[in-house]
Amino acid sequence: MPAPILATKLYIPPPRPEAVPRPRLTERLDEGSNRRLTLVCAPAGFGKTTLVGEWLADCDHPAAWLSLDRGDSDPARFLTYLVAALQTIEAGVGEGILVALRSPRPPPTEAIMTALLNEIITVEDDFILVLDDYHVIDSKSVGDALAFLLEHLPPQMHLVAATREDPNLPLARLRVRGQLTELRAADLRFTPSEAAEFLNRVMGLDLSEEDVAALEARTEGWIAGLQLAAISMRGHEDTTAFIESFTGGHHFVLDYLLEEVLDQQPEYIQTFLLRTSILDSLCGSLCDAVLPDLSASGQETLEHLEHANLFIVPLDEERHWYRYHHLFADLLRQRQSVAASTENDENSVAELHKRASIWHEENGLVVEAFRHAAAADDVERAARLVEGGGTPLIFRGAAAPVLDWLESLPTAAMDAMPSLWMTYATSLFFDGQIMGVELKLKAAEAALKNAEPDDENRDIIGRIAAMRATLAIIPHDVEAIIAQSRRALEYLRPDNLPVRTATTFTLGYAYQLRGDRAAARRAYTEVLSFGDSDPMYTIAATLSLGQIQEMDNELSQAARTYERVVRLAGDPPWAIASEAHIGLARIHYQWNDLDTAEHHGQQCLHLTQHMESTDTIASYAVFLARLKLAQRDAPAATAVLDETEAFVREHGFEHRLPDIAAAQVLTLLHRGNVSDAARKIAETHEIPVSQARIHLAEDDPSAALAALDPLRQQIEASNWEDERLRVMVLQALARHAHGEKDEALRVLGDALAMAEPGGFIRIFVDEGIPMARLLSEAASHGIMPDYTAKLLAVFEAEAHKREGESHLPPASSAQPLVEPLSQRELEVLRLIAQGLSNREIGERLFLALDTVKGHNRRIFGKLSVQRRTEAVAKARSLNILPRQN
Amino acid sequence: MADKLNQPMVYQIRVKGHLGSQWTDWFGGMAITLEDNGDTLLTGPVVDQAALHGLLKKVRDLGMPLISAIRVKPG
Repeated sequence: MPAPILATKLYIPPPRPEAVPRPRLTERLDEGSNRRLTLVCAPAGFGKTTLVGEWLADCDHPAAWLSLDRGDSDPARFLTYLVAALQTIEAGVGEGILVALRSPRPPPTEAIMTALLNEIITVEDDFILVLDDYHVIDSKSVGDALAFLLEHLPPQMHLVAATREDPNLPLARLRVRGQLTELRAADLRFTPSEAAEFLNRVMGLDLSEEDVAALEARTEGWIAGLQLAAISMRGHEDTTAFIESFTGGHHFVLDYLLEEVLDQQPEYIQTFLLRTSILDSLCGSLCDAVLPDLSASGQETLEHLEHANLFIVPLDEERHWYRYHHLFADLLRQRQSVAASTENDENSVAELHKRASIWHEENGLVVEAFRHAAAADDVERAARLVEGGGTPLIFRGAAAPVLDWLESLPTAAMDAMPSLWMTYATSLFFDGQIMGVELKLKAAEAALKNAEPDDENRDIIGRIAAMRATLAIIPHDVEAIIAQSRRALEYLRPDNLPVRTATTFTLGYAYQLRGDRAAARRAYTEVLSFGDSDPMYTIAATLSLGQIQEMDNELSQAARTYERVVRLAGDPPWAIASEAHIGLARIHYQWNDLDTAEHHGQQCLHLTQHMESTDTIASYAVFLARLKLAQRDAPAATAVLDETEAFVREHGFEHRLPDIAAAQVLTLLHRGNVSDAARKIAETHEIPVSQARIHLAEDDPSAALAALDPLRQQIEASNWEDERLRVMVLQALARHAHGEKDEALRVLGDALAMAEPGGFIRIFVDEGIPMARLLSEAASHGIMPDYTAKLLAVFEAEAHKREGESHLPPASSAQPLVEPLSQRELEVLRLIAQGLSNREIGERLFLALDTVKGHNRRIFGKLSVQRRTEAVAKARSLNILPRQN
Repeated sequence: MADKLNQPMVYQIRVKGHLGSQWTDWFGGMAITLEDNGDTLLTGPVVDQAALHGLLKKVRDLGMPLISAIRVKPG
């Protein structure tokens, strides 16, 4: 369970009924909405939020609002709220992104931003996104994400950032390109006439021009100062004396004024303001919990503060949640910390935080509950809350506060509670501070030495091992991953599903790296048996399972599994679906359904084209090259492979070069270029299969067999079914070319038996005429007659496409007909005998209806009949079709 | 040089307006001196660069005009 989205962060502050109209500023905001970014940049108390809120109320465009807080420096949390804000413009936008962000290992930020941009482009109306309080963001990744967004900002979107300091965005570049509008302190401060309007009309004072000028000069048009001054004056009989005393001194404006304002409040309000200043947002029941002995109710007091204009901001329509103006809250907090030192224990700051923590926990706001527990220095409580009741807080967008807290804890406190060391290690890891992790794991182990070997501590041992397994993934240390994962699974509590799920997936990945597909399959199946606690692991394990099924030649099962991944990845799909689509493309290609294959290939490309950090594009290129070869467009295959080879080298995906080289060899051979180039590629990358192909093309089957025979032994020892089938197909061809017909048919028969359940077609058909000859032999020997007939029919269709007629020898020369039926006609006739309609026959054989009808006419002609039933009967009587018993 | 920047150093931060002495704790134990020209000097040891930035953020968040921040020799 992720932390719930706080709707209050998305609430657009409504305009105050009595406000100073500021057309000179709203006009500039209007103009600015044609550029990419508007920066409202000024210190605290300059009315940034109010201005933007009032502008939006009169603005023609829909707007989304996000009030940022310190926690949003966590990129996953920031992006989650960014999507949530955009969903107030268009429901459902970025739904798949939210799913991915909930994963413990979210995809790279750039990938997420790319996916998000692709969705923003589909929003119809122009809209505005406001990021308020952007200065609280202290994170390079969030800055980078926003810079990326700005660089690729879709034309219908306009971004407004309100901040106390210049954001870390490429402002200079935006300025030069005329894509930036800036409103700064000099623009925002009240002019003398705005000050007069504010003091006299809005605040109902009756000040002379000189008094207004004096106040304006003393505060330099600083709105927060003027507002506090006005509130103070409402409580003073003699405003002129106040103004003299205020403008005469050097006191920090707010310090002086706050004192004034507080002094005018009844004591219970003063107490309320000071004690509730520890809260980031306030609601009635929370205030009641923090101040149990207050005479008035929290809700009444909050409403009173709002009417008294005491720097309180509503956060929703219902007047349920409020916050203090940030500047005011800081001033109050400072005073509270001074005042609290004289308080009794009942109302110490720690006690207030503890009460706030309990209230937040009871109301399901775990992150806030943790913050207050940490502020109360209640280690036990904070340690419990950090675990988050299943989903640790670090995965709920609270990595930074958790790390800050852990860093502040004394070693002894963590030794007394070893799980805290483990939390520390995990938090560092997911914060990207990999180097520090092992040290904390060692500290955890040391702390556990003297601990009871109870379930709790065994679970920590398991978590230590699980973390070490994860660390071993980075250097691809397969044996370490496997050993540590197994240890983890032995020690982890049976109900620790999150860590068990992650560890089992890691184990599956390690087995896959080791080439032990059966073990990997078991691990992934187990991950899925854990249920749907983490959708990202469910998707990843389903995808991996599909890949293993595909590698085990179980094409139908793999296709169903991949389709499940596509469904799980949602709509609009998350990028991981690209891997499923390329799997489906390969399978449909294999089934000779080239249109569907091409469709899935395009889906894959669509999902990956903006992602730099993916090697899926290599899988796509290899697929596309084969498709192009099947479509007899070898130059296109060459082009796509060369282009991808460059991409792969440039982006450090060198491990994909052998796949690409193999496809390049295939393409060169296809073009009849059995040249040194092909040989060189094969030698460079040590691809024995490609080497064997080249030997075959050179008419040297002995050399091909010398490469293939040992390879097959090696593959069979590893149980790699896909490789095995590929090698057997080539072996059969090589034996045939070598004159060993019987052996060739035996190997081919084995290959056909392996391939038939998966419905493989192209693996044979792509081998061209030599394979067609061999299959015809097989057919005449009665080897898997249905399957060979089906394959030969495809050969013939290909030949038809190429030259309009068949060069293939008939499957059997024993037909007692003057003009024997062709292979394809026999195939059609068999299907007629099975009772299939012409349309069904067309679908089965990938033929147009007219083509089927053409075959029928030729069959009828050769058999001298008029109808389908007569044709079947005649064929049976002539033993062309088996007789029925 | 970079190492030296990470040593505790005494800094003097000058802001516009007079701050009461009760702000000492808020600014991490900095001594508060009021100047005749209306400025306040916050003077005290700053552990490292991160602490210095934190201090400047506090000044920023109060909306106090920052005039200067300089490193002074200890003692």
